Amino acid sequence: MSKSKKCILMLLAAMLVVLPACNNAGSSKEPSKPATQGAQTGESQEEADPFGKSVEPIAIRIGKEIDASDKSLPAGDSPENNQYTRYIKEQLNIDTKIVWQAAAGKDYEQKINLSIASNDLPDALVVKETQFRQMVKSGQLEDLTDVYNKYASPTIKGIVETTNGLALKSVTVDGKMYALPNVTPESDMVHYMWIRKDWLDKLGLEPPKTIDDLEKVAKAFVEQDPDGNGKADTVAISGPQLGGNINADFMNPNNNNYGFDPIFASFHSYPGFWVKDTEGKTTYGSIQPETKQALSKLRDFYAKGLIDKEMSIRKNAQELIKNGTAGIYFGVWWSGGYGPLSDAIKNNPEANWQAYAVPLDSNGEFTPHMGNPSNQYLVVRKGYEHPEAAIKMQNLLYRDESKFDVNVAISNYPLRMVYASMDVMDVTYNMLKEVLAGTKQPEDLDLPGYNLLKADAENIKKVKLEPYDNYDIQYWNPNADIGVWKRMYSTFVGISPLQQPYKKTYSVTYSQTKTMERKWSALDKLEKETFLKIIMGAAPLDSFDQFVLDWKKQGGDEILAEVDEFAKP
Amino acid sequence: MIHKMKTKGYAKHYYLMLLPGFIWLTLFSIVPMFGIIIAFQDFNPGLGMFHSEWIGLENFKYMFTLNDSKTIFFNTIFIAVMKIVANLIVPLIFALLLNELRVTILKRWIQTIVYLPHFLSWVILSGILLDIFSFNGPINAILSVFGISPTLFFARADLFPFIVVGSDVWKEFGFNTIIFLAALTGINPSLYEAAAIDGASRLQRLRNITLPGMITTVILLSVLSLGNVLNAGFDQIFNLYNPLVYSSGDIIDTWVYRTGLLNLQYGLATAMGLLKSVISFTLITTSYFLAAKFANYRIF
Repeated sequence: MSKSKKCILMLLAAMLVVLPACNNAGSSKEPSKPATQGAQTGESQEEADPFGKSVEPIAIRIGKEIDASDKSLPAGDSPENNQYTRYIKEQLNIDTKIVWQAAAGKDYEQKINLSIASNDLPDALVVKETQFRQMVKSGQLEDLTDVYNKYASPTIKGIVETTNGLALKSVTVDGKMYALPNVTPESDMVHYMWIRKDWLDKLGLEPPKTIDDLEKVAKAFVEQDPDGNGKADTVAISGPQLGGNINADFMNPNNNNYGFDPIFASFHSYPGFWVKDTEGKTTYGSIQPETKQALSKLRDFYAKGLIDKEMSIRKNAQELIKNGTAGIYFGVWWSGGYGPLSDAIKNNPEANWQAYAVPLDSNGEFTPHMGNPSNQYLVVRKGYEHPEAAIKMQNLLYRDESKFDVNVAISNYPLRMVYASMDVMDVTYNMLKEVLAGTKQPEDLDLPGYNLLKADAENIKKVKLEPYDNYDIQYWNPNADIGVWKRMYSTFVGISPLQQPYKKTYSVTYSQTKTMERKWSALDKLEKETFLKIIMGAAPLDSFDQFVLDWKKQGGDEILAEVDEFAKP
Repeated sequence: MIHKMKTKGYAKHYYLMLLPGFIWLTLFSIVPMFGIIIAFQDFNPGLGMFHSEWIGLENFKYMFTLNDSKTIFFNTIFIAVMKIVANLIVPLIFALLLNELRVTILKRWIQTIVYLPHFLSWVILSGILLDIFSFNGPINAILSVFGISPTLFFARADLFPFIVVGSDVWKEFGFNTIIFLAALTGINPSLYEAAAIDGASRLQRLRNITLPGMITTVILLSVLSLGNVLNAGFDQIFNLYNPLVYSSGDIIDTWVYRTGLLNLQYGLATAMGLLKSVISFTLITTSYFLAAKFANYRIF
């Protein structure tokens, strides 16, 4: 026995030697650093240049989300080595190391959650609100207050300030700033209808305005063979995919493409949002009678076959849009060109997708829900020696975004966050119109806070054909430069509907309260399950009433009281 | 333990062969057991297991107030029991039928082909299943021939457990068939010869020789599967389900996954996992004694 015990011990000992050796191989360059590093940070404390190139190379280990459908990287490039990472190395002497990568969306979130739970974080990460709160609570984050003050570029600071303190307030806990918040353009918050205008023209229909118009058009799309192939194979409205959301909510208020938000909004129903009722009391949008009305309408649409039968089971919501079987979907401005449409026109160059700020409410007004300007948070692990590196990378991206080849998806930029003045898309749209009209020249448009404007102005005529005021697909030349087309088509078709005034509804809060941390997931599941079942006919409409009772009983009332307290000035 | 082996050098090899499995078990099953204390904590990853706030049975109390708890326990047991029963009966019948087949080549071929799906992962199979059962898929096409209007199978909470069990049996019955075939070869052929000379028909031989000869294997397998009553198959359900079928398809493991890893409620998720483990442990212990009693199968 004793011999075999020895044998095991020897083996284990051997493993102990081998394993750390493996670890060292990866990071063998690092130990030499600390000696020089002290001197270096000493220097940079005096300078604190937001764009300063570090003397010694700095390594930053990050977790990265990867868009599986993105095929824009040239051969030989990788998420870890591409035009963006090379530029960062060249300009700032920062080496980006991807320690793990995961598919954008659920997989990425889950990977972050795992990192949080195992307390094994990369140096820097872009996370969402709930994760940020959890990390602060766990004491895993570096205090960025000084670093932000010293290293954030004036432009970035300027943009953060355009939110009137909202962005900074969301990342400040006990007077310390634990993350760099992003700022999204207001246009990322507004969902409206995208529709096949060529189908409308073919069937002699007008773009729908009200929910009843929408129903008529959708019916015609299903029954009158708009694609003209002699088969009843068209679907009117494409819905959310497997794991997608029927509606946005206060925690993920923006960019809910392929959901039904505008339909809810046309009934003044704001599910998932904390809204004020007529008496000025805070209530939850999902439990309002208006939501029942909207659900009843959606249920009716689904039963009549106007919504994709396989909504919420289909793996990819873009499928029907790309292959030309769906004629309507709901989304934000960038869900056009940046979304499925570049593939849709590849399959059918005549697919003329246009956007309209509809459906309207009973007063003829467009009444969408609005989001929070910050929904991404750049966080740095506690104890990371170079928190400024992460911030410098944001500075650099914002300053030089227009210098990059637009055909390589910008999501390949490490730690990329959306930074834009709230009004950036409206300004871009209006200025580009002037460029097309000849009243402005690209040289006039080197404006601070609008980093892409000048490049856009130089590019627009590459893809836009005359007449300049008609945005139909035949007046574009996507083949000239598909990367430019994606951006310009989204801008012109997607932003023009928002030039009319519309009524904005904001949520009372966009972050979780104490009780929510514990009880929200159960309530959220109850809500999503009930709504989906009602729409798809798996439960009667009146199960909504039971849902409201259950929701209140299982913690909803308690949470409502907290939110109401929060809403008080 | 092992009957006083005098040749020590001989035993050493066995221990060495045991080592990888032992290390695996230690790392992945024994070390993580300490994590169960999270079930009694308001777990904070930054503070770790040893410094998080101790809240006693709070997580368990909250767990029992949730409507979900009842549903997922019922779903888990319902699906798992159906799987256990079907995975015993289908391979048994199949093995018996295959055993009666006299063309050896055909027998081997069938055996290999039905065994193949066992090697495919659920990630791949779920994609195939979702397509086959989709609205425009082959199953609906066949049904429409008989005038049945197409239905969205994966939106039907009433059908979901049966699709899950059916597809699991389809995937695994080939593997279990092999175990039964092995048991069949263990039956002494001279018994069949004797019976044939005495004029017993095929059915009589089946009833009086084959079945009694296999009964120990059947009992053993069924008793051992008791420990799986709370394992309804995470990979399979996770890859197939959606919110529409939560009511009949959400099981303990998927719930724990969502609660712990997606919603960051570590304590609650661990509490549920612990409860499952305790029940499973009881069942495994019971099954061990039953196995010892009925099949004379002992480990210790």
